[in-house]
Amino acid sequence: MTTRFRRLLGVASALTVGAVLLSGCGAGTSAAPAESSTPKPGGDLVFLIDSLGATWIPNNSAISSYQGQIWGNLTDKLVYVDAEGNLSPWIAESWDENADKTEFTLHLKEGVTFSDGTPLDAAAVVANIDIWAKGRPDDGINRIGLFPSANYAGAEAVDATTVKVSFSAPTLSFIPTLAYHGSILISPATLALPAAEQADLTKDIGSGPFVVEKVAEGDSVVLKKRDDYDWGPEAVGHEGAAYLDTITYKQVAEPTLRTASVESGQAQVAYNASPQDLEALKQEGLTVETPRYLGFVNGYALNTTVAPFDDVKVRQAVQHGIDRDEILSTVYTPDWFAAESLFQSTVPEATDHSADFAYDPDKAAALLDEAGWVKGSDGVRTKNGQKLSFTLYPNPYLQASQSVDELVDQQLTSLGFDVNLETYDVPTYGQKVIGNATIPANEITRSFVDVGTVAGVLTSQKKGDEDWFKVGTSDATLNDLSTKIATATDRDARAKVADELQGYVLDQGYFVPLTQIVQRVYVQAPEVSGVSYNGLAYAYYLDTWLNG
Amino acid sequence: MLRTYGRFALRRTGQAIVVVLLAYLFTFVVISILPGDPITSTLRNPDNGFTEDDIARIVAYYGLDQPWWVQLGSSLGRFVVGDLGVSLRSNLPVGTLVLDALGSTLSLAAAALLVAIVLAVAIAYGTQFLPPRFGQGVLRSLPSLFLSVPNFVIGLLLIHVFAFGLGLFSMIDTETPWGTFFAAVALGIPVSAQLAEVLIASLDHESRQEYVAVARSRGLGQGALFLRHLVKPSALPTVTVLALIVGELLGGALITEAIFGRVGIGTLVEQAVASQDLPVLQAVVSLAAIVFVVVNLIADLAYPLLDPRVSVGSRGRTVAAPAAEEPAPLLREEVSVV
Repeated sequence: MTTRFRRLLGVASALTVGAVLLSGCGAGTSAAPAESSTPKPGGDLVFLIDSLGATWIPNNSAISSYQGQIWGNLTDKLVYVDAEGNLSPWIAESWDENADKTEFTLHLKEGVTFSDGTPLDAAAVVANIDIWAKGRPDDGINRIGLFPSANYAGAEAVDATTVKVSFSAPTLSFIPTLAYHGSILISPATLALPAAEQADLTKDIGSGPFVVEKVAEGDSVVLKKRDDYDWGPEAVGHEGAAYLDTITYKQVAEPTLRTASVESGQAQVAYNASPQDLEALKQEGLTVETPRYLGFVNGYALNTTVAPFDDVKVRQAVQHGIDRDEILSTVYTPDWFAAESLFQSTVPEATDHSADFAYDPDKAAALLDEAGWVKGSDGVRTKNGQKLSFTLYPNPYLQASQSVDELVDQQLTSLGFDVNLETYDVPTYGQKVIGNATIPANEITRSFVDVGTVAGVLTSQKKGDEDWFKVGTSDATLNDLSTKIATATDRDARAKVADELQGYVLDQGYFVPLTQIVQRVYVQAPEVSGVSYNGLAYAYYLDTWLNG
Repeated sequence: MLRTYGRFALRRTGQAIVVVLLAYLFTFVVISILPGDPITSTLRNPDNGFTEDDIARIVAYYGLDQPWWVQLGSSLGRFVVGDLGVSLRSNLPVGTLVLDALGSTLSLAAAALLVAIVLAVAIAYGTQFLPPRFGQGVLRSLPSLFLSVPNFVIGLLLIHVFAFGLGLFSMIDTETPWGTFFAAVALGIPVSAQLAEVLIASLDHESRQEYVAVARSRGLGQGALFLRHLVKPSALPTVTVLALIVGELLGGALITEAIFGRVGIGTLVEQAVASQDLPVLQAVVSLAAIVFVVVNLIADLAYPLLDPRVSVGSRGRTVAAPAAEEPAPLLREEVSVV
């Protein structure tokens, strides 16, 4: 559906809501306040989602913001990561690692089974780790995007509950990656199926608290409770089976219809409401949850090889020329936070560097003056006959990206920049913007569960590195810092390097942080209690019940 | 006469097959020149961190790195033997996806057509027999009103009033009878407008004919007059519009299904277009072309039976001896395939 059509829908929907309210047919809000805090077994939860994503092939789909919701309740992981980035045991009860961080031994919980009755033992874990690391590209099955595949040497089952995993170089990120939303444990029988059969969700067997009851492709997925489930993550603090009988994920593409359904009591959760609507929904007694995920903040990676960003002063001028508070108050709600660094502040290694890029239009103007850009009569700065001009491409994978860019456009224009905005849909963006070395500013964010993975985006030292700022290997300091991050064997020492790295990248004006990203917004009926959100901001319903 | 009719039917069927194949080819060409495909746009999601090498290997598996004519060749080859291929987006067989969606769309379209016909006939009847002072003018302006209100506005209004306000149906299970009914109303209202316009115009024309005055003077009741004398001659242009409406129903179903949260051909197309899922689009476009062509074929074949003045000469259908004021039924040349 085109954005224009969506906007029309939005307007039309607002009009009709107004009309309905005027005519007195408005639904009474079912806002009974939470009466008891005692969990009540039973109940059916309806979760309205924008899309059910593309395919159900586990490796190819778990990456999506949509399907991750369903996989999270259908499958377990080896390790749990909470919203603050703390790791804790799950199917792996404990783990050991050698001093070099090249060998890891996982000790598995006993008695865990997949819903088809087969054991989740060491052999099953080996089969899973293997396919996460390598995929089966010749059969159309991806590897898992953020798995440290490059150094992966292999996994073996030592005995029924012990797995040894080896890497060719230090890989501190391995254990955290086991908590990543892509690292879901699937029955080996499912993994052996060809892609076309794995694409049928009813054939995808997990070991989670819920199992698939019904799938209507492109419409809805119904999960039902698994009665013998008894191995939830300790961190969630719930023993035994889930309280809810069923969870229905129903696709409703139009955001106002999702929230109106929750208001009228037809559903309990509406996913991804527009930030602008949240205050009004709270006024009506609904709960709004805006968990942040671990990873990079939302911001611009500047291309140091193209004008005008080949000059550090211009890059710094952009950093100081953006008023993040205005973005937060205009586009978002108080649930969103200003960026303090490259990383979301929930990342354990994140340190506050907000002073390095604080809003200071005078300083920004002075930097541009120093760099030789002179304001003309039309308000646009020029140097040697060239305009201080660049193009922003709003990231179609991010909500509200265009509104943010429009505001940034205004703010930078008043400094003497000539900013153009070009908006593309997902396929065109993928074709024209991603991987295009001439794009001056790439609006980007990235979730990760381990700060070690950031090295791969900063330079081009290794094959497959993304080289966000197009510095290649020219910046010796950045090379050195990335290498230290990537090859660290000690978490505390690495945290110090990470702090240095954040300071350096921001000081060089390579990255312009905007806001801490909230990519998953949940509007909930007040009767929903006990939802937990992991470090990837997915809703987990093991401990959830419905009041009243 | 029978031989001419047979040759006419044969020629029309041949044309129909050509139209379907051309539609198939056209979709392929249009989609092939667009950038991207569902595989790469998923893999290129910046949150994934796949390298270009990773992407290239998966793309090779789907044959998307082949030149377009190779892809077209294998696609056509499969189509001819009835294999619709596998969706690039979901990896599920296209045949299953289309069949699942078809039932929902057919019931919606049939219900919408019924709603449209009932509404149109009611409006047309009213314009003939309601005294001018009691709303005839209002009735005559209804079709233009229906046409000018977009059907998503009607849909949203119906949902807010009847689903959220009165709780007659639920957005969670919209395939219930009430859910289907209101979706059909949303889809049927704009469609009824076209139907009503043509019906009113024909009725106006017929009611000025002398035989109507004669019938009235013989004391024929309004209902009998409408049914026995006015409906049949007015049916010819209405059948033309009915055949056109199939296109309208297919097109309108996209928006109605999206709003009412129904899975049907419309939503299938929407997702396939958004992700450039070529095999699904090919199947749906071909299906749409087949439906459209078949409905028009039926209308064409029905013409000579409804009106003996319509002949089936060699250059397609012509009206042999059109009356001077005959409302032109030949809107059909404007038909384009969806």
